[in-house]
Order: sequence, then structure tokens, then C-alpha cells
Amino acid sequence: MLKYTVKRLLYSVVILFFVMLIVYSLMYNMPGNYLETKARELASRPGAGKSYTEWLNDLNAQYGMDKGILKGYFVWLKTAITGNWGDSWTWTIPVTEQFHNTVWYSFILSLISLVVEIVVAIPLGIMAAKKQYSFADYFTTVFAMISISLPTFFLATLLKYIFSIKLGWLDLSGMQGRDYADLSQWGKFLDVAKHFILPGLTISIISIGGLMRYTRTNMLEVLNSDYIRTARAKGVPEKKVISKHAFRNTLIPLVTTLGGSLPSLFSGALITETLFSIRGIGFASYNSMVQGDIPFVMFYLTFISIMTLLGNLISDLLYAVVDPRVRLG
Amino acid sequence: MASYNLNEVLKKKKAEKRTTNNRNEMALDDVARVKVLSPSMQVFKRFIRNRLAVFGAAVIIFLFVFCFIGPLLYPYGQKQTFYKYDSINVKFGVATESTSYTGYTVDSSIAVDTNTNSYMTTYIKEMLSSGTQRTFKVAEDGNIYQIDMLADDVVALSQRASKTVASFGKNVADVATYDAITRSVKYSGEDLGAEFEKKVAALKGNKGTFVLNGVDYSYRRGTGKNYIISAELEGFIYEGASLSEAFEEEAEKAAPGEIFSFDGQEYVIISDGVSNKVYSIGEAKLAKVFTTFVIDLYDSSFKVTDEFRNNALLAAFTTGRFTADGRSFTIVDNGEVLTIFDESGKEFGEFSNFVIRRSNGDDTIEYEAKVHIREAIEEMKSQNKLEYKFVTRLPQQSADGQYAYDEEGKLLYDDDSEVRVKQTDRNYELWANQVTYVIDRFASPSLTHILGTDGDGFDVFARIMYGGRVSLMVGFVVVFIELFIGIILGGLAGYYGGWVDNLVMRTVDVFYCLPSMPIMIILGGIMDAMRMDVYTRLFVMMAALGLMGWAGVARMVRGQILSFREQEFMIAAEATGIKVKDRIFKHLIPNVMPQLIVIATMGIGGTILTESTLSFLGLGVKHPLATWGTMINSVSSASAMAHYAYIWIPVGFLISFIVIAFNFVGDGLRDAYDPKGKR
Repeated sequence: MLKYTVKRLLYSVVILFFVMLIVYSLMYNMPGNYLETKARELASRPGAGKSYTEWLNDLNAQYGMDKGILKGYFVWLKTAITGNWGDSWTWTIPVTEQFHNTVWYSFILSLISLVVEIVVAIPLGIMAAKKQYSFADYFTTVFAMISISLPTFFLATLLKYIFSIKLGWLDLSGMQGRDYADLSQWGKFLDVAKHFILPGLTISIISIGGLMRYTRTNMLEVLNSDYIRTARAKGVPEKKVISKHAFRNTLIPLVTTLGGSLPSLFSGALITETLFSIRGIGFASYNSMVQGDIPFVMFYLTFISIMTLLGNLISDLLYAVVDPRVRLG
Repeated sequence: MASYNLNEVLKKKKAEKRTTNNRNEMALDDVARVKVLSPSMQVFKRFIRNRLAVFGAAVIIFLFVFCFIGPLLYPYGQKQTFYKYDSINVKFGVATESTSYTGYTVDSSIAVDTNTNSYMTTYIKEMLSSGTQRTFKVAEDGNIYQIDMLADDVVALSQRASKTVASFGKNVADVATYDAITRSVKYSGEDLGAEFEKKVAALKGNKGTFVLNGVDYSYRRGTGKNYIISAELEGFIYEGASLSEAFEEEAEKAAPGEIFSFDGQEYVIISDGVSNKVYSIGEAKLAKVFTTFVIDLYDSSFKVTDEFRNNALLAAFTTGRFTADGRSFTIVDNGEVLTIFDESGKEFGEFSNFVIRRSNGDDTIEYEAKVHIREAIEEMKSQNKLEYKFVTRLPQQSADGQYAYDEEGKLLYDDDSEVRVKQTDRNYELWANQVTYVIDRFASPSLTHILGTDGDGFDVFARIMYGGRVSLMVGFVVVFIELFIGIILGGLAGYYGGWVDNLVMRTVDVFYCLPSMPIMIILGGIMDAMRMDVYTRLFVMMAALGLMGWAGVARMVRGQILSFREQEFMIAAEATGIKVKDRIFKHLIPNVMPQLIVIATMGIGGTILTESTLSFLGLGVKHPLATWGTMINSVSSASAMAHYAYIWIPVGFLISFIVIAFNFVGDGLRDAYDPKGKR
């Protein structure tokens, strides 16, 4: 197990190396003298603190953009490994500081959505599987399909239209109400929580469908297996068959995938956060990307790549932990 | 699929038997009773039994027809801008209170001194503030100019030939110059004697005064070491020949700035505060008339000449009658305005202090409207308001913005046009409803535009059709690229195994891990910075999406091939000596086809979703090319969202529908291909 983990970790590092190489090449190939333009713009910004040449030297030193693509990549890698990610251009503070400022909002938003998703999707998926071909089954199937197919931006716009414009219950976007400063501690908390409702709902609705289908498929597989038939044949009550024999076995793939999705809680919801102006990491990185903020984007892409690889690793390891039949090789 | 149809063969055999036996009944165990379906028919039958899949297929077919055939039948294009004539409240004209004096030449043979001419406004202001009716100004050209205030707004400038006669009063005149080096005195007038020279020789300092024989002298130091001595003298100093005592008496009686006559000659005295100068002046020749008034006439075809204007202005404060261009007119001073009547006593026009012009600078506003506007402004001023509404006559406009004329070719007027006057600084803006040719923005759904128009005046319905084309095309092209790369690499990896497999699968791992959405956003930003052409952009986007999506296909193909490779039919294929290329692409890939079709169908849905998201963010397909994402984006601001729901809601549902449809069809196909695996 330990050997497998170490092997996988090393393997992930190699993948990460190549992923970042691709990302770096993309950044490297930004249109001609992009860095120079950027440096000039940064230097002319109020509170820039550095002159044009200082910025340019900084950028070149950090990204090796004046060297060849491979050599430059190693320059960047060296500075990045030492934890020097530079200053964000869009946010004018160190990249890591901006990361700390934003990541927890994203985490909370994703966590809430994940909880809602689990609470809704798993029971519905199991119910659908229990009564295959019933109305409930069709309903969940169709609902799951709609949820998978809805474009995030359309759902977000629709929710805004209904709840903010037509009903006027919630704010269109942002994280704080108008009178935030005058509220008590508890009031502030409630205010922010209220602003998290719509984005949370958006993420939940979009992701419920996939989990629901997954639960249903796995539950059906388990229900069609021999041990369930045996259990039923020896007269175990149906309730017990479902809750003890079937559900527990369905949990194996569920726990694996959900466990694997834990790291992605930190990755932020790029589009949802942007549409609702939640100052999470997704929102920050979207703005950075659009404005060509290379330091923050490189950091963010490295970060989410690590999170993806970590998710895969956790999911594989959990599989072995939860299901004793599985041996890792 | 094999062309061998069991059913057909059996039927044929049966028919042969029948002809030989001449028997017509069918036996109970007749093989003709067994109905065998071809594999594809089986898949089709299973597929159409699935209601959701059929629904999805119907939606896809409908949208294909809608997007690819619809535009051929629909009259509008995706980039066709629509215009309309609309009555909008525009700045129709400007009224300015005229405060600067404009000079009109009366007699062009008189050359007016340029300085005097340009200082006229200052002179008039001086006269207005001091309340003088007439002043004389000495000009550098040797003439004296007489300025007469005919009224506050009308000033006449006359030239009088002049000659300086004398000066009187307290005169300060230079009497002598003392050179301190040569110690000599030079007199400018008469000799003042030895006593004076003694006094002068003792002068010190730069300036000072001394008294000698009751006369005040003052001195100042000139250049070098000489002093200029001036004496203050009373009485007349003549420039030329001295005149009689009677003249002096007359001159002293007359006030400065006043004309007096002596011996048949007119003189004027001009004072500079200390001394008065007497000038003899010739006859007054009227050179120019200065006025703030502008003229407005009933008959806009009448050409206003300087003669007409000058005569009218001069007559207004004298006889009230004047002739111009061979016609005679009367003019009446009504305080604020001067009204002109023609020979029949009809109102002909008027002078006023308001310049009322159309916004484009044309003086085409009708006289009566001008009078109304002026009255309204007076009223507004008296009420101390900044805005005022009134009703007047403005030219009638037809629905397409043209002016309407009657049979005689005269403009028709709307009697009840509402005009709003708004004061801005010194101007009065006139706002009125005018029919203008404008882009038909955000038109509500109607018969001509089924879903209305968007913010650029494009027909929404047409753009939905063209946008669907782009979305579907992107979906198909991207999935084709994915399949192309995925099948080749996956096939190679699965068939060869070993290092090829390892290399391909590690590449797949890298591409699996690649964050595609952020990369697409960055790519969009780069393409923005490069100002890439919309079509090039579209191709780059499709290529990028395809390059990032092939990993899944490759992984699936490899897995399938790995399992098929060990099966008997592949051993048979190898044994019969079929080429490697054919073994992979003719024997293995067709077996992977069902899964590929399913993956591709769902992939198209997913790609449309990604494309629309990118376009929504403004980083995918760009304006003016229509896609569903951009159409929603164009009305995604809070206010647009609230008002133009009829644009984005149908489009959003279309995106959802097409993605759902592709997913349903993909699901249905999977179930149909593999009924055992149906869940």
C-alpha cells in the first residue's frame, strides 16, 4: 500500500511536470512582447511601486520568458518550487496571499453544495433504482439528464431572474448586502450566508444529476447481483435487503468518487463564482486569466492540476480501503 | 454488417420447394415462420422503444432542420441590421441670447480704423455702464469716431475728419531740457531767463518739483545725465494759429464730449481727466451699425441685405419708416423686439436678441415658432425656471421622417408640437419629438421580427438559427477531431501494447489532468489580445477543444481493443494473414463502434455546452457571428436581463434542449447496443 502510494505520487509528479510544461508553453506563446506591454502597464498603474525595467526584470527572472521555452520552463519551475510565486498583477498582492484570501470562500461554497448534492442525489438515486421503470425512476432519470445538460450560466441567469429580479428575495450578485457594515457579527454571517444561496443552489443543481445517475447505476448493479438474490431467497425482509446488503455495497463506488472529489472543493467554481461575484478562487482566477495575470494563473493552474491528481490518487486508495477484495498493484 | 440475410435465404428456399411440390400451405415447423432481424435493425427497434431517446432524436432532427434549412426560408440574415423611423425626443434646436455686437457696414467707402472697430464692444460696454448716449473716440488714423447709442442694442458708428485745435485746462507741457554735463538748457518754447537756469542747475535726484514765480515745475531724469523740466500751465495752448477769446469762452462753457459750434465750424472737446483737447470736426459720416439683434422674417425666402438691415435698424429709432430693395417698410420699437411691417401693414419680421437655430446650424425654424420659443424663454426667465414646456408649430413629418408639403410645395406644420426648453449655461436647448431613422434596437416580438431584435438591431430569430448552426458545427467538428486522434492513438496503444501503449497512455494521463476550461479561457484572452478574426478564432477554438478532449476516446478505444485482442476472431484474423492496418481498422475498430457512437453523441452535447459557456463569457465565438452563448451574454446585465427575457430565455432553453437531446440519444443508443447492460 505504502509502496503503491509512493509510486503513484512520483508518477503524479511526472504528470504534473508535463501538464505544467503545456501550460507554460501556452503562456510563453502569448502574443509578441506581451510581457513588455504588461510591464509598462503595471509600472504606470497607481501604487505600482516598481518601474518598468524593474517589472520586466522581475517577470523575466521569474518566468524565464527571455530564454528558450524549455530553459524558461526550468527557470519558472525552480522559482516555483522554492515557493516564490511572485506578485499578482491583477490583485497587486503576492499570489499566495490572494490565494489565502479567496480559497476559503470557495471551499465553503463547494462544501455546502457537496452536502446538498449528497443529501438530495443519493436517496433519489437509490429510490429510482429500487423501483426501476416506475414513474419515480423516469422522473429522476429525466431530472438527472436535465441537470447534467443545463448550462451553468443559463441556470445562474435563470435563478437570478426568478429570485432576484422577479421575486426580489436575494441580491443579484456579490457577497455582502448594502448595509453589511452596520450589521452585528451574527447579522454579517447571515448576510453572507444569504448571498451564498443562489451560487450554492446553482452548483448543487448542476452536479446533482451526475451523482444521482451514478448512484442509480451502481445500486441497480448491486440489486442484480447474486448475493442480493440469495438474500431475498432466504427470506430477508426487503427493507433489510436494501439497507444492509444493497446500500452498503453501493457505498463502495460512491465513497470512492466522493472521496476523490474532496480536493476539488478547493479548486473553486470558475463560472458560478464569476457570475455571482463570489470572491472565491474561481472568481479571482477568472479575472486573472482574462487580464493575463500570468503569476496568478500559473499558480492557479498548478494548484488545480495538483488537486485533480490528488483526487485521482485518493479515489484509487479509497477503493482499496473500502473494498477489501481490491488489491493495489 | 454482413449482407447475408438468413430470412431472405430461407424464404427463397421455401419458394423453390413450393414450386417443386406445388403445395401452398405452410407447415407448422416451417422455417419461414421464424423472423430474423439484422443486428442494426435490432438496435433500431430497441432504440425506438425508448421514448426518451426518440424524443431526443426528434429534437435533434428538428433543430438540424431549423438551423440548417430554416435560414434558407427565413428572409433575414444574421448580420442584417434593422432600422426604423421612430419619434424620439431630440435636441431639435438651440436658442442663444445674443450679447455680442456685430457690425454691419453702411458705407463701404469709409475705411474704419481697425483698432476702433475691434474695441467697439468695449466702448459700448463703457457707454452702457456710464449711461452716456454719445462718445467720441480719437483714433490713430487721425479721425474722430462718433458712437451713438440709438438703443441699448443698436449702436451707430460715424467717422468725422478731425484736427487738433488747442488744449486747455491744466496742461502739463515740457518746457526745457537741462544737460548736466554740458550745463546747458534747451528750451522747447520761449526762454525762461537766468533765474530759471540757476534753479535748474541745482537739480538733484531722479524727480521732483520746484516753484518759480508762481509756476509749478516738475522735473524727471531722462536718459543719461539730463533732466526734463515740465511746467504746469493754465489756459489755452494752440497747436496752430491762436483763435479769439470768444472761442476760448465758448470752449470753456462746453462740457467734454460735447459738440459746440463757433464761426460755422463744429468743435468737440475730449478730456483725459486733466486737460481738454479741442478738435475741429468735419461732417459725420455713418460708417457702421452695431447691433445684438438678429432678424427673423416671416417669409424665409426673402434675402436680407445689409441695406435692409441697416435701414431698418436706423429707422427704428427715428422715423420708423425705411425703404430697401425698392419696397417701403415700417418698423416699430416694442422694447425687447423691433417689429417690421410691410407696405400693406402686414407683419413682415422682427429683430430680437434670440438666435434660434436648428441643431445642425440651419436657420430653418419658422418665424412663428421662433416667436413662440422666444416668448417661452422670456416666460421661463420670469418664472426663474430651468425647464419649460410649451406648444408650438413645427414642420409636420411623415412616418418615414420626410417633411410633408401641401399642393403648392409649402411645408405643412403640426400645430400642437410640444417643445421643451432646457437652460444650459447661456443656451436654451429646444427638445422636441422628431421622426428619425434609427437602428431598431430591442424591438419587442412582432410579426416582422418573431422574437424581436437585439441590442444591435439584429433579428433575434434569425440569429438563433445561425447561432444553432455554429453550435452544432462546433459540436460535430470537435468530436470528429477527438475521435480522429483518439481512435488512432488508442488503437495503436491497444493493439501494440508495450512501450507504445505506455507512451500513449501517459500522454492520455497528462491530457486528462489538463484543466481545459481555464486553458480555453486563457486562449480566449490571448486571441482577444491578438484581435483575431472571428472565423480564425472559431477554427482555433474547435482545434483546441478537440486537442484537449481526445484522451477519453483514446482510453476507451484502448480498453476495448485490449479485451478484443485476445478473442478468437482476432486470432483468426492473424492466422489468415490480414495486414496489421486492416486488422486494427477493419476488425477491431468496427467492434468498438457502438461505444464510439455513444461517446461521440454525448460528446457533441458536452462540446456544445462548453462552446456556449465560452461564448457566454465572451471568449469563444465573437460578435457579429451569432452563437447561442453570445446571444445570452448580450443581455446578461441586470437591467437587460429583466427587460429582454424574450431574448435569452428561448436561447437558453434551446441550448439545454439540444444538450439534453444528445444525452438522451446517447443513452438510448448505449442501451440499444447493449441490452444486457441496460440499467
